[in-house]
Amino acid sequence: MAEIGSFALLLALALSVYSFLAGIIALVFQNRNSQQASQPVGHAARRAAASSGSGTSLVALLRRGSERIGETARRAGVVTFAAVLLASAVLVICAFRDDFSIAYIFHHSNRDLSGPYKFAVLWSGQEGSLLFWSLLLAAYGFVLRLRYKTDPRLFAYASVVLAGVQIFFLLLVNFAANPFGILEGPLRPEGSGLNPLLQYPEMVIHPPMLYLGYVGFTVPFAFALGALIMKYPGEKWIQITRRWTMVTWAFLTCGVFLGAHWAYSVLGWGGYWGWDPVENASLMPWLTGTAFLHSVMMQEKRGMLKMWNMWLVFATFWLAILGTFLTRSGIISSVHAFAQSSIGDWFAWFLAITLIVFTFFFVKNKSHLKSEHKLESLVSRESSFLFNNLLFVLLCFTVLWGTWFPKISELVQGNKVTVGAPFYNRVAIPVALLLLILTAVGPLLAWRKTSLESLKRNFMWPAIGAIIVAVFLMITPQSWGSVFGLKPWQDISYFYSLIAIALSVLVTLTVASEFYRGGRVISKHTGQGMFASMVQLTHRNTRRYGGYIVHFGVVVVIIGFAGAAFNQDKEMEMKNGDKMTIGAYTLICRSSTEDDNPDHYSQWAMLDVYKGGKQIDTMTPERRFYHASQQTSTMPDIRSTLNEDLYVVFEGVNQDNGHPILRAHLNALVMWIWMGVWVMLIGTVLALVPNAPAPVRVPAPARLGQSTPAPVATGD
Amino acid sequence: MIWIVCGLMFVASILYVFYLPGKVFLGPEKTRAGYLRERRDAVYENLRDLNFEYKAGKVPDADFTSLKSSLQDEAATILAEIARLEKNPAVQRGTRS
Repeated sequence: MAEIGSFALLLALALSVYSFLAGIIALVFQNRNSQQASQPVGHAARRAAASSGSGTSLVALLRRGSERIGETARRAGVVTFAAVLLASAVLVICAFRDDFSIAYIFHHSNRDLSGPYKFAVLWSGQEGSLLFWSLLLAAYGFVLRLRYKTDPRLFAYASVVLAGVQIFFLLLVNFAANPFGILEGPLRPEGSGLNPLLQYPEMVIHPPMLYLGYVGFTVPFAFALGALIMKYPGEKWIQITRRWTMVTWAFLTCGVFLGAHWAYSVLGWGGYWGWDPVENASLMPWLTGTAFLHSVMMQEKRGMLKMWNMWLVFATFWLAILGTFLTRSGIISSVHAFAQSSIGDWFAWFLAITLIVFTFFFVKNKSHLKSEHKLESLVSRESSFLFNNLLFVLLCFTVLWGTWFPKISELVQGNKVTVGAPFYNRVAIPVALLLLILTAVGPLLAWRKTSLESLKRNFMWPAIGAIIVAVFLMITPQSWGSVFGLKPWQDISYFYSLIAIALSVLVTLTVASEFYRGGRVISKHTGQGMFASMVQLTHRNTRRYGGYIVHFGVVVVIIGFAGAAFNQDKEMEMKNGDKMTIGAYTLICRSSTEDDNPDHYSQWAMLDVYKGGKQIDTMTPERRFYHASQQTSTMPDIRSTLNEDLYVVFEGVNQDNGHPILRAHLNALVMWIWMGVWVMLIGTVLALVPNAPAPVRVPAPARLGQSTPAPVATGD
Repeated sequence: MIWIVCGLMFVASILYVFYLPGKVFLGPEKTRAGYLRERRDAVYENLRDLNFEYKAGKVPDADFTSLKSSLQDEAATILAEIARLEKNPAVQRGTRS
């Protein structure tokens, strides 16, 4: 089987190289031919050919030849997908057949591993995950190449760029990290097993989501670079890639938050985000990608920020590659980096080459990217997008700097200096709050300029609502829950939380007012009820109103983040009958025990949970030791409510008396984060739904002469 | 067996890539006029948005009048260039953007 997989990978590489080279040749010839065709008759070659009576036919012959070469390049790209798919299928089959003669399967699987994790072996190690990267890229390329009739020339350019990226990853899996490498020495009866940290249901879907996001940004980048190289007239390429970008962004969002949820549920430190380098690696392309999703609207609507958008889409792609590099190379130590390897040089070269190629074409063709309009006012939709972008980029740069600081300090000073959460929070929290303000204000601003009167008209009621909520949170008693009775002067984190919640209310009210105002117009024209009108409003401009729902999801997530200011934790050695009190909860240790099965040995405690004197739950935090990998893993028990999570970890056992050591965390509002992500994803899916056409109204003969309501259109 | 599978894969790939019996679809080439029509549509959409926001009570009268007139001027400029290019197609053949 391994031979078939290796052959499929080699074939895929050969096809990608052909697709790349033949694609370039075809485009070069097509360009020459179209230049010849558009030049005056005086062109020497054309005249010479014309004099021999075959001028038109020579041009036609050259053109047809290049067209056919271009078509073979496209087809080679299509077959690349089939070949990489076959290689991936072979690897998965080998995992299910426990073929430990393949080194990759030996190192990442074992016989007792359950089915879903055996499937997940494909992306559980370095070689497999690079193959998976290639597979997803080939799949995106496959769809792109099948849809080429939308704009054949632009798609041909994008196809060449995709083929270039595909070659890099196929070179890696063929020569630097081959997943079909044979294990040296005698055949082993059992594998080393999957890393226990990865044996968690979400890990079966987290990496594919993250990779779909990472890889997906190659598509808008390919179109952007293609459009730049060919000096594509207009902004149509943005419309073509809009859905790609949104789908990719949704996958990346899903991947980032699944990673956070995995860290929360598995790592056992009680948090969901630790500014770990690999977490940061997934955040950086998300930040620039989000900035791009916003600023691209300025290009579509007003023909502005063309150069900026070009760099943003490049940065997003580049940071996605950097993220893969960080995750897979082990260059910076991280709890999420499951590999240490020497592929760093390959990535460094690839990152350098893409930067050089992009910069070259940018400098060569930047005159084509001149803005069609200038910023007319600082109080306008355009300026809100601009500030939004600057803040996203500032945050991205901060995260980039902090992530690479250990490496930079090692190069400069000779010793690694790691920056922690306070470094990031100093920038991230104020930036996030400013972004929230823009999320509230932006939709209320008009394109070009907004008068003070307009601002007052749209902003007054939401602002009053936010202030009322903030005051309410300060004057209510603390016994109502974590976020009540807030005294912002007591601690800076309380101050930030209060501001975050107040601004979240502001955004929610502005979003609600947008739906209400739009719904009212539709209702007036159609006579429908308000809810039906709002549904129709959303359906007529899914991108805008889906976007508002995404904003609402962000608000819910931010409220969840704001809860971190009220977290508490406690650690205790507990023998049977011992009590631990945290917040309103009392935990009583009923028993502690141990268990052994072929896969793992486990120790766990059983705790009764009381609230208000009444038993409400029983929790069983666990600690496992996996036999195959000889590694330990914690299995925290989490009791989630809307108000707070009770999170209990089995830390270990006191070696002297055998009593379990337990740590309890009370994490406020965490569930809001996961709910907010769902809302964001629902909003994105809504934004992807095609718009319903505005109704065309034809006046009935009986009503002629009466005033007929005009169709109402909605827009961004 | 393995070599037969590999051989079949290779032959099938070559056949799919290089056997092109029909005509290749190229689609129309994009011209300056095509680009201007896209811009025109974008300006029309902006006008519709402005109109909707005005009806929704978000834009005061004075802002509406000034924004609408500037968008209409922009549309008029684009329409004039489209008309010029349509009158004289030779101009647009040489201009790609």
